[in-house]
Amino acid sequence: MSSNTPTTGPSSASTNVTSGTGTDVVGGEVRSAGVSLADFLLQLEDYTPTIPDAVTAYYLNRAGFEASDPRIVRLISLAAQKFVSDIANDALQHCKMRGSAQSSRKAGKDKRYTLSMEDLSPALSEYGINVKKPYYFT
Amino acid sequence: MTSTDTSALASARRRALTVAVSALCTEGGFGTAEKGALESLTEMLQSYITEMGRSAKQYCELAGRTEPMLTDVTVSLIEMGADIEGLPAYARRANRLTMTAQPQARTPGNPKVLQTGTKKAHPSYVPEHLPAFPDPHTYIRTPTFRPPASDYQVIRETAASQRRDIERALTRFIAKTGDTQSLFKDDKNSFPLIAPRPLPAPYMLSLVGSDMDLTDETSDEEPMDTTNTSHQQTPPPPQTAETRESKDSLAEGKGEDSSQDQRNRDSDSIIDNPFLQPARKPPFRRKLSVK
Repeated sequence: MSSNTPTTGPSSASTNVTSGTGTDVVGGEVRSAGVSLADFLLQLEDYTPTIPDAVTAYYLNRAGFEASDPRIVRLISLAAQKFVSDIANDALQHCKMRGSAQSSRKAGKDKRYTLSMEDLSPALSEYGINVKKPYYFT
Repeated sequence: MTSTDTSALASARRRALTVAVSALCTEGGFGTAEKGALESLTEMLQSYITEMGRSAKQYCELAGRTEPMLTDVTVSLIEMGADIEGLPAYARRANRLTMTAQPQARTPGNPKVLQTGTKKAHPSYVPEHLPAFPDPHTYIRTPTFRPPASDYQVIRETAASQRRDIERALTRFIAKTGDTQSLFKDDKNSFPLIAPRPLPAPYMLSLVGSDMDLTDETSDEEPMDTTNTSHQQTPPPPQTAETRESKDSLAEGKGEDSSQDQRNRDSDSIIDNPFLQPARKPPFRRKLSVK
């Protein structure tokens, strides 16, 4: 890990940071997770996430996060991508469950899955996010 | 920080996020997506990134640093419940799509301004980084009239022609509005002549003079001091029947010299001989009652 200068302030967090992440809970393997992330950071040199770097950097800057290392920006965008793609996969499962009755008739799988709010809402509720479409009064 | 910024930059980045979300959904296997679902996922993605940045920055500042590190980001990820160990595996997935970078929007350049003439150079005391002078037509002053001709011959000619035109116009005007006599018997309108009005006593005019001088009493420069009686008697009301108009009144006018000494403008030119004095004007011509 790159060196940093711990200060005499509230130092509990800084000691945690220098020695590894999440050391309080699960000793060795979480430590390796931090190390593996450090190794992974080296692999991000030429990786291009789906979200462009400039877009991620823009939103990070709005939050006050000025990244000196572009690899950190890519790491964050990768994590955000994973987040969204996990939700999308869950919604796909819901869609397949819903449409499994009709797709058995067709020769192949039904390739035209449509992401709709009815699939998204239960997927998000498992993450603790509740979305409700406003009622449409005709 | 609002998630509903309406500037062009924000909307451009939002669109980029939507594109990324669409790519992720396509990777997952969806063919189409509802607009509302896509917008929800985009909003979630933006909030996620913003929250990551905020949380990492706070961890970094908590440690007394100013530049966030990998460890700050890791702790933030853990706090948000993300899967750290699955991240490298996710990065190496087989069917990942990468969107090509969108073309940069070019800033519209300044419209080309038509240049008319060469701009004036800066004087020596003006620094070069200040803007240049505008086109010379903005400060050049050209008069829109021609300077009048100062040639003597041309001026004489124009003066003469103007005088001729004025005389002709005035005489025609008086002829049209008054009595006329005509030169030709049968053609009455081509050369109208102003008809003269015959006076009842034609000799009076030559003896007494015209009444045009009555109006300019104050600008009288001639030695009229001894005959100022007429001027003094003009203000009195017209019922004074003794208003004299013949040259007999010259004697009375002379007799009242003493009362008019204060009005003498030129006392050196008093002439004793009454016949050599200037003629006295009658006060009102209409009161002539010479029968």
